[in-house]
Amino acid sequence: APELAIFERRNWLIHLHFVRKEYDTCKVIVKEQLAETNGMCEYAVYVQALILRQEGRIQESLELFQTCTLLNPQSVDNLKQVARSLFLLARHKAAIDVYNEAAKMTEGDWEISHNKGVCYMYLKNPEQAKVCLKEAISFNRNELSYIMLGKVYLAEKDIHMAIDVYKRAVEFSPENGEVLTTLGLLYMQTGQFQKAFEHLGNALTYDPCNVKAILAAGSMMQHHGDFDVALTKYRVAAAETPESPPLWNNIGMCFFGKKKYVAAISCLKRANYLAPFDWKILYNLGLVHLSMQQYASAFHFLSAAINLRPKIPALFMLLAVALTHLDDPDNAREAYEQAAAMDGDKDPMVHLNYAVFLYNQGDRRGAQKQFNSFETATKAQGNVEIDPEMLELSSKLGPALQVGESMVWQQKAKAEVKPPPLPQVGLRTH
Amino acid sequence: DDKWLEAHYDPVSSLYTFTQCITMSDINADGDHKLIIADLGTGSYDMKLKVYKGTSLMTENAIIDLPTGVVTFYMDTNEPHTPAIAVASGPFIYVYKNLRPYFKFTLPTLSVNPVEQDLWDQVKEDRIDVMSLREMLDGLRCEGATLTVRSMRFLQLQSHDLEPFASLHKHAPLKRQTVITCLATMKKSMAEEDAISCLILGTESSHIYVLDPEAFTVLATMDLPSVPVFMSVSGLFDVEFRIVVACRNGGIYNFKRGVKEGKTVFELNSQPVGLERLGKNIIVGCMDRTLQCYTSKGKKLWSVAVPADITTIQMMDHQQKGFKAILVALANSEVHIYRDKYLCNVMKTPDVITGMKFGRFGREEASLIMTTKGGGLVIRILKRTAKFEEKDISAGPPSSQNQKLNVPKKTKLFVDQTMRERENAVSMHRQFQHDLYRLRLETARNYVKALDRSMNPISTNPQEPLKLAAQVQGLGPIFKLTVNLQNTSMTVPSLDLIITFQYDNTLYKFNKSIIQTPMLVPGLNYSFEALVECLSDKGISDTVKVFVLKKNRSVPIIAAIINMPISEAMVVV
Repeated sequence: APELAIFERRNWLIHLHFVRKEYDTCKVIVKEQLAETNGMCEYAVYVQALILRQEGRIQESLELFQTCTLLNPQSVDNLKQVARSLFLLARHKAAIDVYNEAAKMTEGDWEISHNKGVCYMYLKNPEQAKVCLKEAISFNRNELSYIMLGKVYLAEKDIHMAIDVYKRAVEFSPENGEVLTTLGLLYMQTGQFQKAFEHLGNALTYDPCNVKAILAAGSMMQHHGDFDVALTKYRVAAAETPESPPLWNNIGMCFFGKKKYVAAISCLKRANYLAPFDWKILYNLGLVHLSMQQYASAFHFLSAAINLRPKIPALFMLLAVALTHLDDPDNAREAYEQAAAMDGDKDPMVHLNYAVFLYNQGDRRGAQKQFNSFETATKAQGNVEIDPEMLELSSKLGPALQVGESMVWQQKAKAEVKPPPLPQVGLRTH
Repeated sequence: DDKWLEAHYDPVSSLYTFTQCITMSDINADGDHKLIIADLGTGSYDMKLKVYKGTSLMTENAIIDLPTGVVTFYMDTNEPHTPAIAVASGPFIYVYKNLRPYFKFTLPTLSVNPVEQDLWDQVKEDRIDVMSLREMLDGLRCEGATLTVRSMRFLQLQSHDLEPFASLHKHAPLKRQTVITCLATMKKSMAEEDAISCLILGTESSHIYVLDPEAFTVLATMDLPSVPVFMSVSGLFDVEFRIVVACRNGGIYNFKRGVKEGKTVFELNSQPVGLERLGKNIIVGCMDRTLQCYTSKGKKLWSVAVPADITTIQMMDHQQKGFKAILVALANSEVHIYRDKYLCNVMKTPDVITGMKFGRFGREEASLIMTTKGGGLVIRILKRTAKFEEKDISAGPPSSQNQKLNVPKKTKLFVDQTMRERENAVSMHRQFQHDLYRLRLETARNYVKALDRSMNPISTNPQEPLKLAAQVQGLGPIFKLTVNLQNTSMTVPSLDLIITFQYDNTLYKFNKSIIQTPMLVPGLNYSFEALVECLSDKGISDTVKVFVLKKNRSVPIIAAIINMPISEAMVVV
């Protein structure tokens, strides 16, 4: 009797070509093997399905994986792949069902628990998601599970638990730039800047081209006035993502900090071109133009920003400043009123600028009222560092209001204080 | 290149092989190490075992099936002390001594399902007919039993082929075979370079066998949860050893002496493309473009991203210099050399490298044999003066940090305009606001006008939701006017509509003045055509208005104004 060829005889070859991503060769061998075995070679079907999935033909790959489960109903791998394809087709419920089926056949499988957790996350079931992901971590401490668990906590706005999870992820894989960056950003959100900077710095040591970390670290440097260092870091990011709006926004504000106004405007305008609906860029453009005494342009950028984000008091305050200089006191007063009403006595700067405006308009009573609001707001802020410029202005305005008339100042010789620029951390880059 | 000497490059050696099918060994015991390559030929025939002395082909032996791996090993202590070559292929190991076939080892067969065995025994004794045999076998298969190839083939046959197939095969013993997927060697009881070694085989049935080198009996069998792909072996079989195996499920497993079932060391997120062991650490190259290092306990030590897909990895163990590193071949035709996680050398190659072996070749201690995707053979020798940096050559800030930022330049005009704005901000602002109000007013007026005259292309009448688009084609003097009409309602069809035109009849002539529309089904686009002839040859043009009217109503529902193009002059032939 002739020797019958074993169905699996070329599986190893298919596999070796597959892992090298030589999909064309792989497909040829798979085809030959399936012809030889009348389609009964399970692994050939399996690899064909994997390749189809790589090529984005997910529905077809799902059908092939289902064929695999028919050929070998005992295989956990086949079920897992069916579930994975269902997951990619966003059929999360069906995917969970198949994963449950697979979980019956095996124990302690990290992949099943992890993917189930991810499915629950997309199904907006954070409780189940957490259970599954924690289970996955107990099977295998894989950073992916930590990252997903962190995301679940973040979706629930539980930053502290998320930080905790990412901390454990960093312990397990201390050189993962992605995890370090995320942890750094979370620390930033909770105001722990020292720790944030540490982690972002670490992220950059291991992955000097991590744009997210560069932007976050750069924005912190900017905050401390380290514009040159920040700019050097941004050079790397500019090479990686030359079309990132937050990056050009930050570069622009670095130049602004270095008093290179023309460069600042150029960069901000590029950022604005790349992201025309980003109000922070418009805000910064407004701010820079105010400093350049280009009040008409400032007005346009600020009103564009207000159209996008009508609930930011600082925008109305800046608009009021622009209007004051455009000799439109009625609208300026309106804008100040808006800003003060929205702010609810939180930002002393709004009230101080309003007071200056009213004082200059000759409304001493109104000015006094705003000045009082300013003082309460300052006290309410507690021991937060107060802008020295603001202190100086208030120390001049205070006596002037007491003394009355314009004894201390000459009319028209006053300026407003401006809020700090808004660097972007760039969470939205990707 | 200051580190490597190009010793040989033949782009057309027509080699189709893998890292595990290349080895170097002193097979003649003359101090000249030969290169042994198992060539997969075309992938279906022409498989050969090739032995190179220097760069010239010394011998060729045909292999019957695809070779999976090649190793050389000392199987005895006879003089002259020459190693044997073992080629794994299908379920067999072919052993060559002095380049002559010496022995063929067949993998032990796997257990056959007892019911299946019984069925075929019945066939042999003609106690069962083929139809019920098929039924029974199919039942077994559906229960999830793993059947032999014979039964599987049998189940695929048409009913008239069953009988001849059964009678052809029924007398041969029923067996379930598997194939070898990877091959390695392990010293048996002595660690010397030329000590006797056992063969270690991984099989498609997820087993690992250790073979005795003299009697070719199975010394040990170990079980894995998945099919082994890559193996790394160290130690002595009789003393203590360790086998690290990468499997098709992405798991890495570890065997020690006396252990029957592999212990999971770690699981990878991505399939391994190669596995090596450096001291106690396990290094894997993965499909997701990373090179990862783990301890033997499974703790991840580091992971570095490589710039392209990995095709194969190979250990570089330069004993004279005490230098150990990992060679990583990439799909961008480069070979990167990593010492720990530090990249210490990048080698460019003429083609993508798919097979690599570092070791002694000829009389040269540090040679690197590489085969390319296109079938070429590259041989490079490490220069004796070559020194690898202790540190990472890619460390430090990325080069892009030294590039200047591309800040958009501004002209003097820009600065002048800035100055102008500073001086005239108030009047500019007022003028702008003034004009803006005018613009808004004008817009509102025109809108009202359009509504009044139904001069809008989308109907504002909720009873007749229609959309109109018209276009003119042609050069003239005859143009084609196409009117597209769409009913934009969800459910209500439009009835009794008429399309008509208003135009200067001294200038244009229409072939029809009225188009009656059929019932308009919601959502569909209907197009109607009319031919317009331009009567003037003075190169003037006018507008044409298109109206959509409802029967018994004088005001049009919608209208469109078409600017007619200037007609080309009539060519008189």
